[in-house]
Amino acid sequence: MTAGLEIIAFAICAFIAITGALGMTTTMSMFRSGIFLMASFVGVAGLFILLAADLIGVLQIMMYIGGMLVMILFMVLVMHDPGGAMMAGMDMSFVERWFSKGLVPREPAQSGHAKHMHGDHQRGYNDHHHGNAVQPDEPNDRKAAAMRSGHGAHPMEHTDDDEQEGQVMHHSGDKHDDMDMGGMDMSMDTPVRPIAVWLAAAVSVVLVSMLLLRPAWRIIDAAPDPDSARSIGHLLMEKYMVAFEGAGFLILIGIFGAVLLARPSTHPDDPSRSAKVAIDERPEPIADDGLTPLAGARGSTEHHMHRHHRPEEHGA
Amino acid sequence: MIATAALVLVALVLGAALTLLVERLSTPHHVEPGPAQAADVRHSLVIANSDRWLLPAGPVVALTGVALALVVLPFGPGLIGRDLGIGVFYVIVVIDFVVLGLALAGWGANTAHAVEACYRIIAQLVAYVVPLGLAYVGVIMMARSLSTVAIVEAQSGLWFVVLQPIGFVLYLVTGLMQSYRAPFLEPFAASIGGGVLDVSAGWSALLWRIALAGVLFLVAAIGALLYLGGATGPLLPGWAWMIIKTYALMALMLWLGRLVRPFSTAQMLALSWKLLIPLGLLNVLLVGGLILLGVGP
Amino acid sequence: MTSSGPSPILNDYGFVALVLVMALGLALLVAAAFLRAPGLLMRTPSIWGQFRFGYAVYALIFLAFDMEMIFMYPWAVVFADIGISAFLDMLVFIVLLGAGIAYAWGMGGLEWE
Repeated sequence: MTAGLEIIAFAICAFIAITGALGMTTTMSMFRSGIFLMASFVGVAGLFILLAADLIGVLQIMMYIGGMLVMILFMVLVMHDPGGAMMAGMDMSFVERWFSKGLVPREPAQSGHAKHMHGDHQRGYNDHHHGNAVQPDEPNDRKAAAMRSGHGAHPMEHTDDDEQEGQVMHHSGDKHDDMDMGGMDMSMDTPVRPIAVWLAAAVSVVLVSMLLLRPAWRIIDAAPDPDSARSIGHLLMEKYMVAFEGAGFLILIGIFGAVLLARPSTHPDDPSRSAKVAIDERPEPIADDGLTPLAGARGSTEHHMHRHHRPEEHGA
Repeated sequence: MIATAALVLVALVLGAALTLLVERLSTPHHVEPGPAQAADVRHSLVIANSDRWLLPAGPVVALTGVALALVVLPFGPGLIGRDLGIGVFYVIVVIDFVVLGLALAGWGANTAHAVEACYRIIAQLVAYVVPLGLAYVGVIMMARSLSTVAIVEAQSGLWFVVLQPIGFVLYLVTGLMQSYRAPFLEPFAASIGGGVLDVSAGWSALLWRIALAGVLFLVAAIGALLYLGGATGPLLPGWAWMIIKTYALMALMLWLGRLVRPFSTAQMLALSWKLLIPLGLLNVLLVGGLILLGVGP
Repeated sequence: MTSSGPSPILNDYGFVALVLVMALGLALLVAAAFLRAPGLLMRTPSIWGQFRFGYAVYALIFLAFDMEMIFMYPWAVVFADIGISAFLDMLVFIVLLGAGIAYAWGMGGLEWE
């Protein structure tokens, strides 16, 4: 593999890593956020492989597929809008809209849904899509402010009065029995965002220049051991034995904590959540499989509890 | 190099096609064959509220996972895509991409059945990964290497199925979990309309067929590699033995799977964590003891 | 040990990347071959936020055991070379994790909610 190909591969992996991280922070869908993080770590794994650390690279991928899927599961459990359908119709910047492309915003019920009015402060960075007309409605600012402070995505430094002029209501459809926003606005365009962007750019410039202006990079001629699994195994068993057992102990403590915190179950009590459960009723038998039918109708003898039944299985 | 890569893909398609055939042949009349058969290839489908990136990405990711995993399978003395140093570990990681693809498509479709299938699919991942890994670990301990070629060579004296029967049984069960065949069919159950397959049509249905058949093919081929000695045997050339062993193991797994009533997701999780994982840990200790006593290669 | 070029591992993974690209190309070909007008339209309400699942504790314990499996793979490769000390070390490790499963089981964590 020539040096040129190596540079191209490095560039691709680095690009995937950075874009994945960027997508993770800016996309509107929680699920996509987790997937972008996974993609970012796949890029990092590629970087590991370029350094001939193949076991660690593939290990990264293994950890993060399992880990991210579980993390996404828990996020989806807790968040109101895990798929981004609600946020997809909101005010967003160009970057966020790019990474949220493909999400279909939830359709409003009535025809006259409020378009968005933009804040008066249009800093240079934000070039989001402009709505057509401006229909200000009476903002329910107390509730909106409370929701926004709970949202936690952007630091809020203004009082209620300042935000009144910039935000409008977004009437969500109340025809469906799904989530009702309750008349809250979730625009991502806040006045403090350009400050945050400039701050982030400044910090990254400082970090990159610290990296580039290091006095000397040592270059040694040793080639990495191609049999990385064996060398890692030897290291684990000989030099890092205490760390190995300590990691096992740490994992044990993690299990203790997880079991302790998860019992009793702490599902959110949102009425919309109680509607459906990923349920496992008695699975349908394979037709004519020759097994004796179970005694009794659909009684369950396993150790799971049906808390809520699905309204119907097929249809609608 | 390009020719070898193309051959890998051709082998995948052929293997998947043969798998579909074997599955259809090995099911008795009234029993429905596995999930790969049920995809509707003829129409295409547009789903109104779906996630336009994630839903098409699902089958592509699944197919990629299966194709990448086939790279390290030795079908004969020289017939391997590439003998990666971490072969077996690489395989177990890359087949997880199939689960990822199924989850992406299930979530992306945004229908009740598909999203529930997504949850069940991730439950299946939670159930199979650790016991499957423990089954692999037993083999790796005896072969002293992660490379697939080294594992085949280590069985030149005696197949690992004889030395590690517990591991073999563990592999059979978790292999069925991994390939979503009976009795672990919940993500594709009829009660959720076939799950992910219901919301795919046209090209994605064809890709799902290839990917799901490919997973079963891979699971059987890796089982033949890990426990049945791989592409070695008297009289016939290596690749013929590999194919025979793969499809024999596949037929055995399918048949054994149909002997049992289908498991619900809760039962599957309980089975995996309460029975299979302790069994797997026991297997690791037993194999360790065997190696210390000098048994094995 | 000196070497002048990149590690031979990179050739292997270059092949893997090639297979990856070709598999993506195959998928694209299949997608293109089916490019007719879309037949059916499915209109379903957006259902993303409405499920909950019953295997939360299983998922958490799975995360822990995934980390354990990471340690087992390199250990398995060198076990036969090292011998009894590696066996004892892994025995301790397995006992720790078995204690974790036993605790979860005993506390009723391994249940579907």
